[in-house]
Amino acid sequence: MKLTKRILAGACALLMVASSSMLFTGCSKKEGDDKEKTVADIDAVKKAGKLVVGITDYAPMDYKDENGEWTGFDAEFARMFASDLGVTAEFIEIDWDNKTFELDSGAIDCIWNGMTIVDEILNACSVSDPYINNSQVVVMKSDVVGNYADLASMTELKFAVEAGSAGESAIAETITNVTPVGTQGDALLEVASGAADACVIDATMAAAMTGEGTSYADLAAGAVLTEEEYGVAFRKGSDLCDALNKYMDKIIADGSLQALGDKYNLSVVTK
Amino acid sequence: MSMFWSVTLNLLEGFGMTLTLFALTLLFAIPLGLLIAFGSMSKLGKTFYRKTSGSEGKEKKPFAVYPIAALCKFFVWVIRGTPLMLQLIVIFYGPGLLGYDLLPRFTAVLIAFSINYACYFSEIFRGGIESIPKGQYEAGQVLGMTRVQTFFHVVLLQVVKRIIPPMGNEIITLVKDTSLARVISVYEIIWNAQAYIKREGLLWPLLYTAVFYLLFSGFLSLLFGYIEKKLDYFKS
Repeated sequence: MKLTKRILAGACALLMVASSSMLFTGCSKKEGDDKEKTVADIDAVKKAGKLVVGITDYAPMDYKDENGEWTGFDAEFARMFASDLGVTAEFIEIDWDNKTFELDSGAIDCIWNGMTIVDEILNACSVSDPYINNSQVVVMKSDVVGNYADLASMTELKFAVEAGSAGESAIAETITNVTPVGTQGDALLEVASGAADACVIDATMAAAMTGEGTSYADLAAGAVLTEEEYGVAFRKGSDLCDALNKYMDKIIADGSLQALGDKYNLSVVTK
Repeated sequence: MSMFWSVTLNLLEGFGMTLTLFALTLLFAIPLGLLIAFGSMSKLGKTFYRKTSGSEGKEKKPFAVYPIAALCKFFVWVIRGTPLMLQLIVIFYGPGLLGYDLLPRFTAVLIAFSINYACYFSEIFRGGIESIPKGQYEAGQVLGMTRVQTFFHVVLLQVVKRIIPPMGNEIITLVKDTSLARVISVYEIIWNAQAYIKREGLLWPLLYTAVFYLLFSGFLSLLFGYIEKKLDYFKS
């Protein structure tokens, strides 16, 4: 019995040493990456002949047209950038929760999907200059939306928000009755079904998904909460980030980004 | 009506992926499971005897060290002891994070599922094999058969009969577990159904997937019932 115990204890100790050493090497490697190393992604992308773009189904940024092809503001923008690099853009629909895993492991080259620039993303990735101005808006049934001008008047309402979204943090201090749901689409569904009185989503999405002629004709956007910007995320230190910034300066100057923004009714950055 | 058909077709496409993953996982997991089962029953190694002073004077207590069996049991412990979702993430993203080439998404899913299910299967196989009475082997020996011959000609079919119910459980669980593949963007039926919620706020396609799962697991239940009946001539 004693011998069994001793062997067991030895095995446990070995396991702990092994796992902790793995942890340490993991950490030190990452710190090295953070400092100065430039990742030569441009060469890799050119060699592969394609830029792999991580997206989700998120109108009007990325969505499928009648033929099943990806389209939308971001899809077109990404194709323009890819052809400027001399490659084609390949779109992969990802699980949004795993986006940094996708990026760091090299499964995708960038996250380009109406992504709000927040501190967490800046810590984990290299993020391009902002290209769209967005805001978080409150969406509710259109017959009551006029009754609520600001958050202070809404403290009694039940809210639905996407878990971990910018909308969730925008109401965190004022509203107590909040249900976090999986996606912004789920949040809209909560309001449409009456499970929640209001939800907070991106203004760009609210513009595309609510009001007459959409799936949510009886919903409307009301109070504007916070202003924010969209950016494209690359691997930390990737040279693609600089390349996109330079390309963006060019198409802002010649007006083609503005034209794309007008097409999808979005407010693009002007300088 | 056309909406209903387009959803049905789209879900069928996703269910095709579900079934492909299901079939290929079984194809790889069953032989691998058998291998692990044999490994964890392996008597290769050494038995030490330690002298202890018990109540009846001195006796020798056997203490067995079987490295292959220990390794297999350790492996089964790790795989059964961690969530399949975590294994999917490690197998797909892991190589890329360490600077190696990534496996294709579907291959990564297939490897994770095959290994995971092989470990569960191996314990069912081991239980089945060890449940066969020693007399069967002895009878084989009397007839002049080798141990291997006895296993394949006498024991195996009896094992198959005994493990059908627990295997049925695992296999039906596998049908539904395939939906985990969506965490690394392998587009199976649940992913396709959830896309309707994200895109159009349509909830019914997700509920509708239950019909596909139910029909298929119904078919599997009938199949297992049929196999059990076919093997009914053993009365042990």
